[in-house]
Amino acid sequence: MSRNHTYGFLIDASRCIDCRACLVACSVENDVPMEHTRIWMKGTGVMGKFPDLQRYTAPYHCMHCLDPSCVSACTVGALQQNEDGIVTYDDKRCIGCRYCMYACPFEIPNFEWDQRLALIVKCDLCVNRLAEGGQPACAATCPTQAILFGKREEMLALAHARIEDAPHRYVNHVYGEFENGGTSTFYISPVSFEQMGMPITDETRSPAHFNRLVTHGTPAVAATVAVAMSGAYLAIKRQSADNAAAEQASDGRPDDHE
Amino acid sequence: MLSKLFSELKRLPRYAILLAALTALGMTAGLYRLYAGLGATTNMSKVFPWGVWISFDLTTVALSGGAFTLAALVYVFHMHDLHAATRPTVLFGLLGYSSVLVILFFDLGRWDRFWHFIVYPNINSALFEVSWCIAIYSIILIYEFSPVIVERFGNNRLLEWIKKLTIPMVIAGITLSSMHQSSLGTLFIVMSPRLHPLWHSMLLPVFFLLSSIPAGISLIIIGSIVSDMLFGHSLSQRVLEKLGWLMPWFLGLYLALKLGELLVTEELGLLFSSGKYSLLFWLELVVGVIVPMILFSIKSVRWNRWGTLTAAMLVAAGIVLNRFDATWFAILPRQGVTYSPHWLELALLVGVASGVLLVFTILSTYFPVFVETMPTRKPQEAAVEAGRAERAPALSGD
Repeated sequence: MSRNHTYGFLIDASRCIDCRACLVACSVENDVPMEHTRIWMKGTGVMGKFPDLQRYTAPYHCMHCLDPSCVSACTVGALQQNEDGIVTYDDKRCIGCRYCMYACPFEIPNFEWDQRLALIVKCDLCVNRLAEGGQPACAATCPTQAILFGKREEMLALAHARIEDAPHRYVNHVYGEFENGGTSTFYISPVSFEQMGMPITDETRSPAHFNRLVTHGTPAVAATVAVAMSGAYLAIKRQSADNAAAEQASDGRPDDHE
Repeated sequence: MLSKLFSELKRLPRYAILLAALTALGMTAGLYRLYAGLGATTNMSKVFPWGVWISFDLTTVALSGGAFTLAALVYVFHMHDLHAATRPTVLFGLLGYSSVLVILFFDLGRWDRFWHFIVYPNINSALFEVSWCIAIYSIILIYEFSPVIVERFGNNRLLEWIKKLTIPMVIAGITLSSMHQSSLGTLFIVMSPRLHPLWHSMLLPVFFLLSSIPAGISLIIIGSIVSDMLFGHSLSQRVLEKLGWLMPWFLGLYLALKLGELLVTEELGLLFSSGKYSLLFWLELVVGVIVPMILFSIKSVRWNRWGTLTAAMLVAAGIVLNRFDATWFAILPRQGVTYSPHWLELALLVGVASGVLLVFTILSTYFPVFVETMPTRKPQEAAVEAGRAERAPALSGD
């Protein structure tokens, strides 16, 4: 991919207090009811035995993959990756086929099931706010700085630095660094991401890559089929010129039952 | 004038009324879905954004593969004795694809924008390619069926002109079919995190294309025997035998590739360790591939009408199961969420399928669809039966 991957998030589950201000900010920014926000919560639920109880949460939104499966899948190109690597959504193009929902390994795209003419709902990293020099609404609102927003490399470096500085506090895994071939959203957490309820994928390469391997081969396969079929037709025709004459005679037979 | 129309309509078999009623009910369900939205009328969810409609679409496209397979055998490979099957097969293909397009229309969240795939291309998308190929191939199927309509009205000059284009159109049709049959398999490549590894494979496009050939042939055989019961016309057992003879080759290659792929990717263990998924996979391969492969290899079975029908039904059942597995049964649940269809989803399917059978019945009653097939009963008897539809109860048997 030749694009710049300018922006990134760092989400720290050890700092999140489940206040859901980010959800409210998203709802206000995109002018949608709370059940249609493009950000929601993942969490461990209550763990351990009283009085030793623990519970971790983290906000969850589009990872903005480096090689997004949804962009590869979208029938009409409503999902695109812009020059900053942001995965954008064009609600003027979308036909509501929902292929992106199956393609996304992080289960991000949502669908307006209750609408008569229904569209996909997905985080666009508040591109409009960025254009005005601002931060995404969720990051700007977070009171504990559990959501940090900045340059992608800086966020990744910070994620590793935090783990290095306090190895007892975090599991040694920056979620999003290699998942699905790498993303622009990084998570660090005191407990495993499986416990956090986040999708676990072994793929270090985006399925979008394998998808392109096949779809880009299609024109060549089509040309081969067309040429092979034409060749077979001509070769066999030459061989059986006599049979062809006989066949023509039987073709002209009148129909005997109407 | 009106009485003439009425007497013409009387030529239709009686079950046409039942089909018309079911079609009307299905369309009512469809209109209600457009009004109420997908959430209220289907059981699709965030975890299962596609439902039984997509399973139906993929199954129907595979079973309609008979049209391109037969076109290749007859026109490219010059197996002219199979020509008798072309008209009913092309008609079945045309109606199959039409039903898929109708269902897809109801499946889209923005059905009012169904045409967007034409103006907003995404060349990386398998679904984009499938949409284009199916749209163009449907036009080719209309072309391939057009002689039947033109013949009825006796326009010979037009007929000659149409027939001149046959070979290029047939080859274009085979090419487009190879593309979209395989691309329907490609759809699932990007879904690797969701589709069970017994089904997910980089060879999915090959599996889908290859399996659509025996699927299509099985439908030609089944269709022939059913139309014997309903319309008194069938292909000769000689033609059916020849079609049956082809089956073990395609089924054998398919089986070898399916198992070979599991061997190469070191997933053979999944055949025994995946519980319900292992069972579904075995069912597909044993009942839908291995058993019919053996049956079709036996000469006496191929020459026996019921033997041929049984083996063909097994192949078709295997394909139906395979496409339902890939789109539904073998999609891994998330957060314990599973899917089973809402009754309105099924109502629309029943309606569309009835509509297809109704159109098939109407066209084959008034147009020369079965000209080359053998009348299986004496002409007067068949004519009387077609009029009175005494054999109508046979429908419930298929």
